[in-house]
Amino acid sequence: MSLIAAVSGVHDSGGYRRPPNLVAWLVLMPLLAWLFLFVIVPTVMLVVVSFAERDALGRVVYDFTLQNYIRAFDWLWLKVFLTSIWYALLTTLICMFVGYPVAYTIGRAPLHWRGLLLMLVMVPFWTSFLIRTYAWITILSKDGLLNSLLVSAGIFSHSAEILYTPFAIVLGLVYNFLPFMILPIYTSVEKLDNALIEAAYDLGAGPVRAFSQVIIPLTRPGIAAGAMLVFVPSIAMFAITTLMGGGTNPTIGEVIFKQFTSGRNQPFGAALGTILLLIFVLALWITRKYREED
Amino acid sequence: MKKTITLVLSALAAILVGCGKAPEAKKLSVFCWSEYIPQSVIDQFTKETGIQVSVENYASNEEMLAKLTAGGGEYDIIQPSEYVVEALIAQKLLHPIDKTKIPNLSNIAPQFLKMSFDPDNSFSVPFMAGTVGIVVNTDLIKDDIKSFSDVFKPDNKGKIVVLDDAREITAWALLSQGLAINDMSDANLDKVKPVLANWIPLVKVFDSDSPKTALLNGDVAMGVVWGGEGAILLQSNPKFRWIIPAEGTHLFIDSLAMPKTAKNVENAEAFMNFILRPDVSKKISDAFPYTNPNLAARKLLSEEQLNNKASFPSDADIAKMQVFRDIGTQGSKIDEIVTSVKAQ
Amino acid sequence: MFFLRLKFMTIDGVSHGASNSPRLGRRVTAARLQAGLFGFWTALVFAFLYIPIILLVVFSFNSSRLNIRWEGFSTRWYGELFGNKVLIDAFQNSLSVAIATTILATLLGTVGAWMLYRYKFPYQRALGLLIFIPMVMPEVLMGVSLLVLFVQFLHLPLGFLTLTIAHTTFCFPFVLVGVQARLQGLDPFLEEAAMDLGATPLQAFWKVIVPYLMPAIVSGALMSFTLSLDEYIVSVFTTGAQSQTLPLKVYGMAKVGLNPQLNALSSIFILVTFLFAFGSYFFSRNKKT
Repeated sequence: MSLIAAVSGVHDSGGYRRPPNLVAWLVLMPLLAWLFLFVIVPTVMLVVVSFAERDALGRVVYDFTLQNYIRAFDWLWLKVFLTSIWYALLTTLICMFVGYPVAYTIGRAPLHWRGLLLMLVMVPFWTSFLIRTYAWITILSKDGLLNSLLVSAGIFSHSAEILYTPFAIVLGLVYNFLPFMILPIYTSVEKLDNALIEAAYDLGAGPVRAFSQVIIPLTRPGIAAGAMLVFVPSIAMFAITTLMGGGTNPTIGEVIFKQFTSGRNQPFGAALGTILLLIFVLALWITRKYREED
Repeated sequence: MKKTITLVLSALAAILVGCGKAPEAKKLSVFCWSEYIPQSVIDQFTKETGIQVSVENYASNEEMLAKLTAGGGEYDIIQPSEYVVEALIAQKLLHPIDKTKIPNLSNIAPQFLKMSFDPDNSFSVPFMAGTVGIVVNTDLIKDDIKSFSDVFKPDNKGKIVVLDDAREITAWALLSQGLAINDMSDANLDKVKPVLANWIPLVKVFDSDSPKTALLNGDVAMGVVWGGEGAILLQSNPKFRWIIPAEGTHLFIDSLAMPKTAKNVENAEAFMNFILRPDVSKKISDAFPYTNPNLAARKLLSEEQLNNKASFPSDADIAKMQVFRDIGTQGSKIDEIVTSVKAQ
Repeated sequence: MFFLRLKFMTIDGVSHGASNSPRLGRRVTAARLQAGLFGFWTALVFAFLYIPIILLVVFSFNSSRLNIRWEGFSTRWYGELFGNKVLIDAFQNSLSVAIATTILATLLGTVGAWMLYRYKFPYQRALGLLIFIPMVMPEVLMGVSLLVLFVQFLHLPLGFLTLTIAHTTFCFPFVLVGVQARLQGLDPFLEEAAMDLGATPLQAFWKVIVPYLMPAIVSGALMSFTLSLDEYIVSVFTTGAQSQTLPLKVYGMAKVGLNPQLNALSSIFILVTFLFAFGSYFFSRNKKT
């Protein structure tokens, strides 16, 4: 099963998927209503505002204009987009490699342990985001714990610049998104059949091959889901990057947020947001189309 | 697995049962900065007047503006900064104040009254003031820093923290070139673009929320920060020095005002009068070391508080400070300039 | 010690029904090595996850007001916390909203994923894309547009309801995607077999599909709860004075230094959750016959 199939969530095993009957429509109604009211309508409002102007106070004035989009197609904003996408990609890949063994261990753990371990993965994130991040700042700062440890252990001769670097940004992002990779992969690992795994190891081709040729493909839906749940939200995430990175590298989330605050330019922010949505929807649409032709 | 969920859910539900609803009584709805009005002050107001106060917080003026103008929330009191007051007055969004109901207004030092953004104090009363200045960690920096130009030298690359505020940074650049800080015309902006292009790459951290963190942690050696931050740093360690830049700086004032749609106008005016009482104002100063414009309250403060140079710049210094005016839509342009330099 | 036990458990699964071939030794060693390595890595990751938490708890006993240097032991923050009605109310609000959001989001996400999987709805691809929009849309945009929607179009008072709706909107896609992943490779004849035995589609769904989906449902619920608990930007724009959540009270605190009462609050909450998690683990373990 290809990665794209896993991502697309569409699956047709022969005549299993039937056209919906009345009951099915009724059951789906709440979701459709929710999508319409709270997703489609706000998105339409967003697009409308992106074509509007604003007054001195930053309020939206509904006069049609293309100036926001003309302004948006500038190399500066493209650079900011790319920076965000780059960080998101890096975070997703690192989370995959760091999180997979954890998800595997939890998924194959004794039954009673699994619920406990899953909760233990999430509990750190039930503390306030700010204190958590400031704790990291205390750990990574020049006079902080990590530097003190490394210097006293003789690894570094003097304190290193760890905080306010891209390394710190990625660390912060990976830290906050790791559970969103671990949990989906866990759901795929959990249903692995013992007999299958046994057979994999029994095939005589070393353990690495058994793992990569059998186990990983079987857990692909979970990996794909985890990748989506990390990559997509992390594009517009900026609180972590500004706190851990020192705000020297603007990301698209931060830029859009600033349009609603100091920039007092809601329509421009809406235009940037619409472009982000368009890029994303287009990318997803193309991957699914490619999958269906597959 | 199911048992775990049920147990956790039921326990959490038990906690929720403890949530009650406040009784409908005399009411006041306050929309203010987080950590600016101590809860003890609000509780005291309720005790003395019987008025129930509900408080909502925001973390920036523009957040407040965005919510206010979108029609969200019905607030009786808001806490805008000086340039926002000006903008709101211009858009006729503030409710006029009946000054006869606020006799304590006379406690305010004259230099903080009748300011350019509200010449008659018809719409706002001063709450707290402050400034922006330079903080230096004298353990790490041995030079004598006196001005913005001293801070933004190539030698200091990677040692500086500044506010993450495009308008602030641009204002400092304008000051360093001897230009008026409120003249954000395109011509002026063109003049300061090269200055910004030189300054911004030298900065290690941009932080408007807590620039003191980077200074306390030793990650930076100097910074251009709010007076309140400076005051906290001075309180925490004598190695920090506070300097008013030689080129000048600006004074900001946060005021209390009423939106035009306020429902409880009399309660709001009573609240304003309450805040202006010297004993109440002293409580606020005890909690947060900002520049207190209330002369009667200052008489109640300790020597230590009054000697904190970051909290209380000299009158001579204040006379030289300019005040931000509303620059309307130019804010967007400044933002773009700063962002483009940052993104290099 | 815990991970050694883990290794034995997985080996049990692997060596079940093994034959007495010489390859057995190598296979068991390989499996053992892999489980050991993974177990060690998991321990490291857990340590990574908990480092700031340990620091957080330690600093809740710090006598200094600023959360930066350790200056001495003190329990004053715990004492002050119990008198801090504002913070506690805010925390209770956060919890109630998070629980309501979790329930709604889990329902929407699970039923939605199942319906989309089971039936061929028109515009299926478009629906699938729509679901990702709340995830990718920057929070400030969602917050402001929902604010305008609630206030100007729906004339709803801002409060618990609007806040829950807003939170649910960006949480349910997480549940839906997770459940969809679990549905891949579901044996289609599972449901048919149940119905052959006389079950209605609803019964088949409830008694066969839901248990199968349970790990994904629980994962989705955990993710929703976590996301809702810490949400700031959307909450700023979609709530009212009666429903102030903890992040709203906390985010401006950085200006005067994050109050260690927050550390105390978080530490207590973690302790309570730990007690429940471990408690129910021991409970379910002892219950097993």
